[in-house]
Amino acid sequence: MHRVLACEQCGAELTASGVRTVRCPYCASPSVVERPAAAERTDPRFVVAFTGDASGARGSLDRWLGSRHWFADPKLRRAREARAGERVIEDLRGIYVPAYLYSAVAHADYSASIAEHYHEKEERTKPDGTTETRTITRTEYRLLSGRHVSYVTDVVVSASRGLSHRELAAIEPYDFRALRRYDAALVSGWLAEEFARSFDECQTASRREALDEVGARLRRFMPGDGFSDLDWHAQISWESLDPVFVPVWMFAVRYRDDRPPLRVAINGQTGRIAGKVPLSWPRVVAALIVLAAIALAVWWGLR
Amino acid sequence: MTPCARCDSPLEAGDLRCAVCALTVPVEAAPAPVERARILRCTWCNAAVEFDPAHQAPACAFCRSVMTIEQPHDPVETARAYVAFGVPRELATSAAKSWLARRGWFAPATLHDEAVLESLTPVYWPAWLVDARAHVTWTADSDAGSRRSKWAPHAGETDVRFDRIVVPASRGLSEREAEALAPHYDLDDTRVLADADVQVEGFDAQRSAARAIVGEAITERARTAIEDEIPGSRYRNVHVACLVEALTTDRVALPAWVLAYRFRGAPYRAIVHGQRHDVVIGTSPIDWGKVARVAGIVLAAVAVIALIYFGRR
Repeated sequence: MHRVLACEQCGAELTASGVRTVRCPYCASPSVVERPAAAERTDPRFVVAFTGDASGARGSLDRWLGSRHWFADPKLRRAREARAGERVIEDLRGIYVPAYLYSAVAHADYSASIAEHYHEKEERTKPDGTTETRTITRTEYRLLSGRHVSYVTDVVVSASRGLSHRELAAIEPYDFRALRRYDAALVSGWLAEEFARSFDECQTASRREALDEVGARLRRFMPGDGFSDLDWHAQISWESLDPVFVPVWMFAVRYRDDRPPLRVAINGQTGRIAGKVPLSWPRVVAALIVLAAIALAVWWGLR
Repeated sequence: MTPCARCDSPLEAGDLRCAVCALTVPVEAAPAPVERARILRCTWCNAAVEFDPAHQAPACAFCRSVMTIEQPHDPVETARAYVAFGVPRELATSAAKSWLARRGWFAPATLHDEAVLESLTPVYWPAWLVDARAHVTWTADSDAGSRRSKWAPHAGETDVRFDRIVVPASRGLSEREAEALAPHYDLDDTRVLADADVQVEGFDAQRSAARAIVGEAITERARTAIEDEIPGSRYRNVHVACLVEALTTDRVALPAWVLAYRFRGAPYRAIVHGQRHDVVIGTSPIDWGKVARVAGIVLAAVAVIALIYFGRR
């Protein structure tokens, strides 16, 4: 009963107990083949469960596409209208996307030039002989060095082949207080992708993201009216990395054979939505010309 | 259970991750036998079932019966100890009355005589008692060592111990009321059971939400605690970053008297501390006529001064 569906287009491997699909939910490619499950596979340790059903996701998808309808590629608009007529059925799928959840302790040593403003009065003689005083804001730079300690938690990196790390980041955050221990019952009836990226690869990516977070925190940590030359080095310790399934609604439409599919991802827990709508350039240019014409008319009218 | 290996905070049964530092809790039992495929069947009609987000559990597509599975263990908490009442009803009544008499200048002159005491209710309000260690790093601007600018940057690090910090968990009391009452309790004078006929306000927050509130409160206290470390007499732009360790939380119920009174039809309330009758906090009516008269007098005085000043120039 357990089998793997492999997409020949994007390479995503999905496990599906009790689900049939003829299209890859990530790239809408029809070349999905069935394979026996590999013997060695990673099981997630935790699951964040879906919290809404497909109709809720469908509603927010329709609103999102509707607000971008005007400038969208005409083929996509036609696909959308076909969807409204319910001729296309298998387009929005809930998938448990494999990811790694990371946390660590970060000790950072930093040094920076901190800007402190001060005011000076300046007297100036005007051309007509009178003097005026004005206040000028000047800046002095002071060197500061020190340490910054923090826990970096809830870092998530995608271990999926179908959904890139950037696409997953666009629909984060997930509320990990609702984390559950993995149980096959939690994903029964839903598509789940196999872990496609290795532990080491994801650990490296997580560490990079954690260091980025430390950098962002350090920039907020600086006192003064501004700073420059922030130089820091962080030591990461106590790392933990756990495989986890996160819920994502994927909407993928192939509206043209020569273009990559339109993909929209929706956070299955919070409903946050992200994607790119292919634009119809003639329409965008036409709109810009109309706008320019209005601006010109207003300008002429005011003159 | 053994405490968290990374931050030494106690873990509770059902925790998947440490609430303080988010380290994954190791599975104590031996790993379950690897099961490659598992078909779930409805116990009623034997059809295959699928996970239903509406029920947060697998449900049968045909007969909609819901299977129960392990839910995230996130209970609503209850108080472990009740701090004893030290102020009896008569004392609370007289404390409330004398508080009404001392309502200051802008209160109506007849407040004490006209206020109708509607009820004086004893309540227990919930709070967390928190112990923790924190390694705090900080930066700030202060006037120490300043040159041309008034400010010079400073940084430092220090260890702070938090010993039985009271973090209010009440929704009934306002933040201002809870902060005013909290420092004055004798936390050693506790009972295991609540006094009879005293209303007990429950902990409204689930464990996970409670921990988030406690964590924020600790960071806020750390900010206050390091203010002594900043050199100089004035400071600004205080930033703190800390590693909280060995955070333990205890839940207590704290006693108070809630006074509801009416003045000319409008409701007001005051809280009398359950152990110290001299600590009273509340709202009282304002005589807007008086305020307007005072404002008028002040404005007139300013106008006269301005007239004199500009008249002389």
